Parts: sequence; structure tokens; C-alpha cells
Amino acid sequence: MILPDPEKTIAVTAIGVVSPYGLGSAALEAGLLAGKSCLAPAADLFPGFSGHVARVASLPDVENPHRYSRSDRLAMAAAEDACAGLPRELLRQSGIVMATTVAGLTEIEPAIAVDPAAWYREAGLARAATYPISRVAASVGEHLGIEGPACAVSVACASGAIALALAANMLLDGEVPLALAGGSDALSAFTASGFHSLQALDPSPCRPFDKSRQGLNLGEGAAVLVLETLAHARSRGAEALAILRGWAMTNDAYHSTAPDTEGKGLASAMRLAMEMAGTGIDEIGYVNAHGTGTPLNDIAETRCYELVFRGRSTPIPVSSTKSYIGHCLGAAGALEAAITILAMRRSALLPTLRLADPIESQDIEYLRGAWRSQDIPAAMSVSAGFGGSNAALVFGSVDA
Amino acid sequence: MNANLPSITGFGSVSPFGATAGLLSGLEVEPEPIAAWPNATLRRAYQVQPFNPAKLVPGVKTRRLDRLSCWALVAASLALQDAGVNLDTIDRSRVAVLFASGFGCVELTESFYRSAALNGWTGTDPITFPETLANAPACHVALFHGLRGPNLTLGGENFAAEIALLRAASLLRHGQADRAIVIAGDALSPAVYQWYETAGLLSPACFVSDPPARSADFVPSEGVAALLLESGLSTERRGYAQFAGGRYARSGDSAQAIRHLFPSVPSLVFSAGNGGPCSCDPPAGVFRSCAGQAFSSQSFSRNDARIVASLPVADGLARSGGLFHLLLALSRRPGSGSALMLGTAAGGAFAALRLEVPSS
Repeated sequence: MILPDPEKTIAVTAIGVVSPYGLGSAALEAGLLAGKSCLAPAADLFPGFSGHVARVASLPDVENPHRYSRSDRLAMAAAEDACAGLPRELLRQSGIVMATTVAGLTEIEPAIAVDPAAWYREAGLARAATYPISRVAASVGEHLGIEGPACAVSVACASGAIALALAANMLLDGEVPLALAGGSDALSAFTASGFHSLQALDPSPCRPFDKSRQGLNLGEGAAVLVLETLAHARSRGAEALAILRGWAMTNDAYHSTAPDTEGKGLASAMRLAMEMAGTGIDEIGYVNAHGTGTPLNDIAETRCYELVFRGRSTPIPVSSTKSYIGHCLGAAGALEAAITILAMRRSALLPTLRLADPIESQDIEYLRGAWRSQDIPAAMSVSAGFGGSNAALVFGSVDA
Repeated sequence: MNANLPSITGFGSVSPFGATAGLLSGLEVEPEPIAAWPNATLRRAYQVQPFNPAKLVPGVKTRRLDRLSCWALVAASLALQDAGVNLDTIDRSRVAVLFASGFGCVELTESFYRSAALNGWTGTDPITFPETLANAPACHVALFHGLRGPNLTLGGENFAAEIALLRAASLLRHGQADRAIVIAGDALSPAVYQWYETAGLLSPACFVSDPPARSADFVPSEGVAALLLESGLSTERRGYAQFAGGRYARSGDSAQAIRHLFPSVPSLVFSAGNGGPCSCDPPAGVFRSCAGQAFSSQSFSRNDARIVASLPVADGLARSGGLFHLLLALSRRPGSGSALMLGTAAGGAFAALRLEVPSS
């Protein structure tokens, strides 16, 4: 593969992560390679909840913590981790594109809907002020002194990947010299209750792509990737960790919650991203799947991969890393982009945990067991969400 | 006119002026008492009055939608009607939908919380939950019209609508869509309104009786505006305006950004208010503080710049009023030429857009 014009090539030059493994991409990488599941019972999330979740144990302290939601604080910690070492002036001019679906729902209680005035008297106004989705990006900006544009993205579980795609567009447009892009979502009673009501939660640790799968487990976390053109990275002597070679976004226009059963919308996003990246189906060495573990999602995704990769010389290696850290909703696409890059850089094909009896497909190798060493010059991270939105990101190694 | 710029070819809106395709007329509207919240103390706001969506958009079913999703669907459909676009003749996978909002589907979020308060977290409604997601309105637009292009829901501290318009133009520029429906707005809810009141931001005009001692000049508003942005149009079909880009930032030198957008003095300045529930600068003040710095007030007066003030009904759409400001400005037939649409907010935040308005 030959990289195009460095001015039009998007490089990932830093990754900041807060995951259930802890702060930093080193903790994430170590946990993934150890095959450690972060899922644990969480009966205390709300009364009657019997599911498994993946929690972030602790967060760094911030000034005026009452002004920030847990989603804000996850984002602030991940962004700080990503930006360590960036020149202050460059950071000031940077743009922010942050995804979230939960935002400040963690800080609000049901009583607000019964008597808002009484709730504000009791809880104050600051907690409710964290509710808008824009607060997560704004909190990152406040925390790091960033003055450039700040954009919030909320496209259900495809949000994090879409944030990266929009940031890449901003860089190609020359709007900002550098962009912090990612997603952040905290565990909340609101979303746990919502997925519980939809009977979408597996009470046991989830088993994506297993024939016996019963649903998803929720997680929390944040990932922020520093994106800039390759030319800009070289000009300041920054190492490129990976190249974001292609990205695409589509919608199923099929159903408000269920995916297209044939996976056509997601397949379209994957093909468009590969076309942009200039990669063929044999050049993709790994797909980090959306892989929620719900019966509907995983079969639609399987059909999608068959549509896209049929005709490959070998089955496409696919896994869901939600089996390690749960489904982090608006952060998932960004966390999984980070994991995809880590897998490429470590030449590690990560398995899906607890995958005993995979959905049968001649075109797909559902990775299971121990991780396998294999060179991955290009890989794809795919995301989908309620509302039918899909996103696909193609990453390439810098040397490819 | 520049053939390479995308054009705004259709407008639709659901607002206190009613549900309308195209520009608005008769721009007189007053805040009305809020009758929909029976347990709340009586207050006033600029409100969308109930209407029958099926009379405007044949085949549309909105019984299960909240007001915001319903308005987004109707406004988007009216924008398509206004543009004269027949979706049966175009590739629907090349049409993007971008929705911008300050508070998202807050009515159903409150409803979900209410059900949790009444029944506990294990007794919440599975039908309501997916509709609480911020992207539900954009999803319904895609679903009803079969639009399979990028489907984005965006927010911003002050200028969500302007951000959506910029991102839409970027999708067209990069060939990721041929057309984009851009939708922006919000619905008022009891908890949002009460937040403004507790914060002391409401105007005395919001109180049916006994305004409090501490008050400001903000009258909350609600509604949705939508526009269709198309690229590669022929010169005979160029629409209401061409969109030539813009800049927005959390803080910074707005004058420098404006100079970057306008090599020469713009003919028109549209005030897009403050993007938040606070005192709105009079447009002349906006002009002096930002545009004036960029070009000097003398050069503006020599060129007979026409400044179009923002209207309180759009100012009341805190965070998401940008498209409504634009629709109202163009509805007042301000003239033609290069137009600067400028919103400013606390802390130095701004959004500056450039439009090319054709002569009518």
C-alpha cells in the first residue's frame, strides 16, 4: 500500500484511554492480552438489577467536581492522558469531537420529573446542567484549555466511531491543526433500566457471536485519539501510531432499534471505508466487530461480514472486545478503534472471550481461545447503533 | 454565485409561526401561556401549537413519536417539498441527515424518569427508552424517507445548528453525500423551563402574574427548522443562498475568523444571537464587537451594510436556534450579496458563517 499525500493522510499520534482496566492504553493492552474479563455482577446499579457490568474503579480528582458528570470526568481523564506532552499552544488551537449518549444522565434522579423545582432546590442546578450532550466536549475543552471548535456527537452506539470520522473530515478541511476525537459514557441507572426493559441484557457475562448468546453487558469508559495530518505530525516530530485510512457512515433506514437483518447498511459502510482506504478484502487482517452479544445484532453482523468478505482467500478474523469490557455505548466506537490500533501494533489477533460455539460461517473466523500473533497491516473497526446508524473505520500501519 | 458551493434549496419549519414550507411571512408572534403542563405554575413561552402532521406530510405516522421527533420529521419533509426534490428519482444512499439539538428528546427522557419514579427502575417502559436517545429524530427522518446516507446527531455548547450546517457542507465537499437535510431545534419541557426559572434567567414577560424580583430578558422558545443543502446545482436552480463555509470556536479571535471568511466587507450581517439563555446583544453591538473589529465600522457604513437583528423567538431556542435565525433573516428579504451570520456567546465563543444571497 502506498500512502497518499501526507497533507491528506490522517495520522493517529496519541491514544488516551480510561477503561475498566484503569487509566492509560498500557493498562488496556495488558488486560486484553491477559484475556482478563472486567465483567462483574452489579446488583447495586439499581434495585432489581441482576446484570454484569464493567466499571472503572477510580478516576483522577478534578477541581470543582460538582460541575462535571461521570461521563465528563471519564472524558477529561482520557483526554489528559492523550494530550500528555502536546505543546500548550497547539493544544489551545485544537478541535474537539466527543461522542456520548449518557452524558449527565448519571447525575439526575427520577424525582426531577415529578417536581423539577423541588429537585433543583435539593440538588442544585449544576447537576442538571451536565445533561446536554455538548457538556462532555465542553468539559474536555475547559479542562485542557482548548479554544478551538468543540462538537458533540450522539448517534447511539455508533457515536464514538462517527466522532473520529467527523474529526478526520475537519482535519482535511483545514479547520484545525489537530483534533481530539473520541467518546465517553458512564454506567447509569437510566441506561441500565432501558436495556433491562428491552430485555437486551445478558444476566451472565456476555458471549458475542456464540450460538447461545443472550444479550449484552454494559460497560463504561472513554477513549480520546489525537488525530492530525501526517504532514503535520512529521513537521512537529510526532510519531504516528497508525493511519486512519478510510471512514464511512451509513444508515439502514430499516427499523428504529433492530438492525437490517441482512446487514446491508453496515456492509455498505464497510465497503465505502475500504474504497476510501484503497484496500481490498484480502488486505484487511482483522475486524474488531460491534459484537454486542444480542441475538439480532450478531446474526445481522455475521450476514454483513459474509456480504463484504465473501471471496477472500481465507476467512476474515473477527472478534468482539465487548466480551472484555462490556458495551460502553457512546464510547464503544472510540475504545474499539483504540483496541484495533493496539492489536495492529502488537500483531495480536484478540479473541472473543467465552466464545464456545460460534455462529457458523465459511467466510468468518470468529477468533477464540488464546490471542494469536499475526502481522496486521490493515484492520477495521465497525460500529452500529439504535436508529440504524453504522460506521466503519479502516486503520493501516504506518509502515504498510 | 459560485457553482462549486452547496446551495440551500429548501426550508421547512415547525415553530411558533406554524408548520411552513419555505420562507416565513407575518413575523409577529407573542409568548403564550403554557397550558400543556397542568401541574406547573402558569408561565409563558414561544410555543408550537398542536397540528396534524398527516395533513402536511402524507403517510406520516407520528402517534408514537415525541414532539421533537415529530417536528423534525415534518420540518425535514417540508424542506424537501420546498426544494422540489423527488426522492424516487435520486439515490437515497447519497442523502445525509444531520440533526442538531441542545437538549435532545428531553420530553421522553422526563417521561422515562417519571416512570422510574412511579414504578421503580425495573418498571420502566421499553417503548419509551429508544425514543429518549438524542438521535431518535434523525432516525425517524431516515426511516420515513428511506435515507441511507450518513445520519448524524450533533450538539454544541452554543451553536449546535451552525455546527451541523458546517459538518453537512463538509460531507458534501468530501463526496460522502450529495444532499444533506440539516435540522435543528428543541422542545420545551417542564424540567428545562424550571431550570431557566430557578436560574433567574426568565424575562418578566414569562410570568402571567407576579414576576420575581430577579429576572433577565430570556423568553424560552421551541420549534425546529430544517433546510436542504445540495451540491452541484445548475445556475438556474440555485436556491435561497449558497453556503460558503464558516468558523466556530469555544473562544478566540472572532474578528480574525471573519477576516478569513470575507476578503472584502460583507454586504449583510445576520445576528444569530448569543446561543444561550442570556441577554442578547443588540445586533449593532454584535457588529461593533466582532464584525467591526474585522473591517472597522467606517468601512461597513461606507458599504451600506444591512444588519438583520435576531428575533426573540429565535433567541429563545437556546443552543439550537441557528437555522431558525437564518430562516428568519432570509424571510425578511434583506437584500443580496455576501452575508455574515454571526453568533457570539459568553467566554468568547462564536460561530461565523458565510452565505451568498442571490438577488430575488
